[in-house]
Amino acid sequence: MIKKQKHSNSSQDEQQYNLYKDAYTRLVANKLAVVGMIVLFLVFFVAIFGPYITPYDFLDQDLMARNQPPSMKHWFGTDDLGRDILSRVIYGARTAFIVAVSVTFLSLMIGIVLGSLGAYIGGKVDTFVVWLIDVFMSIPSLLLVIVINVSLKPRLVNWMDMQFLATQNEFYRNTILADFVLVFGSLALIKWPKAARIIRGQILSVKKKNYVLAAKALGVPSSRIVKKYVIPNSIGPIIVYISASLGEAMVFESAFSFLGVGVRPPIPSWGNMISDGLRVWQLYPHILAAPALVLAIVTIAYSFLGDGLNDALNPRQWK
Amino acid sequence: MRAVSESKPIIQVHNLVKHFPVRLGAFGEKAAVVHAVDDISFDVYPGETVGLVGESGCGKSTTGFTLMQLNRATSGEVIFNGKDLTKLKEKELRKYRKELQIVFQDPYSTLNPRMTIGEALAEPIRMHKIVPQNEVAAKTAQLIEDVGLSPNVANRYPHEFSGGQRQRICIARALASDPKFIVCDEPISALDVSIQAQVINLLMDIQEKYNLTYLFIAHDLAVVRHISDRVIVMYLGKIMEIADKDELFNNPVHPYTTALLSAVPEADPDIEKERRRIILKGDVSNAIDPPSGCRFHPRCRFAVHTCSLEEPPQRDLGDGHLVACHRIDEIRKGTIRETEDH
Amino acid sequence: MMPSTQDNGNSRYEAKGNNVSKLLEVKNLETRFKARNGYVYAVNGVSFSLEKGEMLGVVGESGCGKSVTMMSLIKLLPPSAEITSGEVFLDGEDISHASAKKMNYIRGVKVGMIFQDPMTSLNPFVKIGLQLAEGIMYHKKLSKEEAYRQAGIYLDLVGISNSTERLNEFPHQLSGGMRQRVMIAMALLSEPSLVIADEPTTALDVTIQAQIVELIKEIRERLNTSIIWITHDLSLLAGMVDRIVVMYSGMIVEEATLEEIYKNPQHPYTIGLLQSIPKVDASHGKRLPSIGGAPPNLFIKPTSCPFAPRCAYKIDRCEQENPQIREVRTLHEKNHHRVACWVDVEKRS
Repeated sequence: MIKKQKHSNSSQDEQQYNLYKDAYTRLVANKLAVVGMIVLFLVFFVAIFGPYITPYDFLDQDLMARNQPPSMKHWFGTDDLGRDILSRVIYGARTAFIVAVSVTFLSLMIGIVLGSLGAYIGGKVDTFVVWLIDVFMSIPSLLLVIVINVSLKPRLVNWMDMQFLATQNEFYRNTILADFVLVFGSLALIKWPKAARIIRGQILSVKKKNYVLAAKALGVPSSRIVKKYVIPNSIGPIIVYISASLGEAMVFESAFSFLGVGVRPPIPSWGNMISDGLRVWQLYPHILAAPALVLAIVTIAYSFLGDGLNDALNPRQWK
Repeated sequence: MRAVSESKPIIQVHNLVKHFPVRLGAFGEKAAVVHAVDDISFDVYPGETVGLVGESGCGKSTTGFTLMQLNRATSGEVIFNGKDLTKLKEKELRKYRKELQIVFQDPYSTLNPRMTIGEALAEPIRMHKIVPQNEVAAKTAQLIEDVGLSPNVANRYPHEFSGGQRQRICIARALASDPKFIVCDEPISALDVSIQAQVINLLMDIQEKYNLTYLFIAHDLAVVRHISDRVIVMYLGKIMEIADKDELFNNPVHPYTTALLSAVPEADPDIEKERRRIILKGDVSNAIDPPSGCRFHPRCRFAVHTCSLEEPPQRDLGDGHLVACHRIDEIRKGTIRETEDH
Repeated sequence: MMPSTQDNGNSRYEAKGNNVSKLLEVKNLETRFKARNGYVYAVNGVSFSLEKGEMLGVVGESGCGKSVTMMSLIKLLPPSAEITSGEVFLDGEDISHASAKKMNYIRGVKVGMIFQDPMTSLNPFVKIGLQLAEGIMYHKKLSKEEAYRQAGIYLDLVGISNSTERLNEFPHQLSGGMRQRVMIAMALLSEPSLVIADEPTTALDVTIQAQIVELIKEIRERLNTSIIWITHDLSLLAGMVDRIVVMYSGMIVEEATLEEIYKNPQHPYTIGLLQSIPKVDASHGKRLPSIGGAPPNLFIKPTSCPFAPRCAYKIDRCEQENPQIREVRTLHEKNHHRVACWVDVEKRS
């Protein structure tokens, strides 16, 4: 029974609000995290504007200038088809970016729908959602991606061919799209449980809050409660998720492309460029070095940011 | 606080019961039941303040919440303006939410941190169309002034205010829909002592100004004594005694009431020196498995065998003084003696 | 312990006689906490003393520094805390700069603590018996059997029936009132000369509170322990303590014997607090006199009277200089009374 609570002069909610505010301050005070953020922003920037400023088109082959080491003409050199590596690396940023954003968005959508359904409806629906989350989280991600790619890719390609034959629409010739769809799809399938869990947890906790009860006592209808009371207070963790997920998705994409189950050549992805470069690294190390270096920087940056976020949200006791 | 006329009650509670299931196990099977409120009845008359007191587990907060239909009653009736609220669906209840309001205990968690207080106050105004759209801001400003704050704080967020100020805002919010009846659920327990008096004064002022009726739920008997007209004493989900304030504090008859009153410290060393405290044995029992018969019997110094067998009926001692105790006649005559093992 | 109607024995202080030696002396204690943007000045120059066998009440609202002051005595503070000045003498010995090991000994043997929340002050995973016994096993080098026997004796002392079975139970098997009794037993087990009780009944029901208060008074009679009782509830102390210290913004604003505080309060804050408590004979329905304004900002070290913004009696000097403590005329000769205020409130009203 609460006769008089000897708590600090702010409630849990206020502490949470301050938590995010303080967390942001702490985050920007953390130099490594800031470096991480800057690098990731650079990647986004390059991804959006890069392809417009590349000296060469990433598909341009110059068979006379194959496997050239870095020079003034080709800053990163050329690969075994005479393509400019710099341009391909820049385009690889775009690939990484597109995948990262799409996957984050997609997983967030699935997560929001399932998480909120479970949290809001409760009961058996919630039990089902939780079970679904557990099942997906227990599947090894790599295995899932490989299986999807191997089993679905041929069927998808087939289907697209049939569609093309039926409609003569050029759109269906685009196998690259098929690649991307599969990559997005499988990565989203891996990542949605995390998002769902976060959202479900947040909604469950907000639902119980006293200000929701107070709103109900005032006669506020459920739709408005969701809109003005639940959603605005659930955003914090979503933002955190997005920041973490973007970096993670990029790294995942590179890993899968490297293994051949992601984006395939000729579309440049750092992963598949590294894979290509590996074959000939002893002869032409620059082919491997460029994408590997860039990927390494991005991975480290994402790691800094992740650590920074973690520290910011879980502050250690002073001194 | 006002002379209570012989008018019709504004709220009637009849045989209210609220049980909470305790769910255990992987599939949430019902394992036990918490008998939070077990068959209580009382009336509240317009303009009065009814104090509802008791210790932890007595069900006073549950009574308040169930009366407001924030918990749906397990059985019983809550009649307001001739309508039994327990039988209404949420949609139909909404218009009654204009008339019945509640101020909660914790001012820190009952305000949406993402809404300015202006918006928070405008919610009920808009919801129940208290004033036309273009007058909402003015009404909000007036409410803020009513509770002793400066109207230009309407654009601030709850975290910018202290506990006492936030509770004032919550009171303003309860006032916004122009209610007739307000349940105050321990409204000052979470506040510092020097702020408590301010908020009590505010509650009394607005009651006067707006002709409100209060159900004032508290465990602090000194405050209840100050603000109430009548007092209901609860224990483990049952009503032990109801009486006018002066009658209850000067001539309590129920053994629990007398023990409770004797346990309350007074800020006066002379009184304390002379005080003969009735110390109750044991702890408050469990609402999941309440004692048989009279719920107070395990701790009662006058308990006899009957007390553990049958629940005592409520007796009317006249002038609205109601008591539920088997041995009430002996107590009033003064012939009662404490039973042996006490 | 037999529940019954009891007389309130409050004659401790008079019965002592003149030959008392100070158990505890605190001089000019200052403690602050490091915060993100500055310091929180929690204790700003507190001096007081405690005689053997005396019971002292420390009253104030949240943030006044009452808990921090007492925790500073035994250095039970979080890492962000800094004791910036002050001397503490326990039984004549200067413990202000005691080593960690010595402080450990002091906490284990010489000073007992009773905290506010019995729910969280006991380890839920450890049986009561072990929690009670381990302290004295370590500090007093008792064997396990002896320690457990001692624990059983103290459980009886605090009125817990079936003490031997209780020793084998876990905290969650006991009710709130019983857990607080266990805490009291734990505090007394090492037979300390001083017990610090930090809001021990604040989280308890009023009837349970009455039980605990009676228990403490009884124990004090039997064991002659000195007790410091911290609370925000002025009414509670009226039936218990010998002297009261009123704190505000990390400073002592008034210190006097029991009778003096309630019948002859001199500091405007004390007066305000007393007035804002609804009383038994107060005319029903009248407005309660209340203290206006809001609690002080602890991020600044007070250079003038911290209560001045809320004070009905304030004069110019109050906003310029921090008041010094002065003696005040008392109702009876044996009382003593000190206040930190520039204004003589009697002359004003």
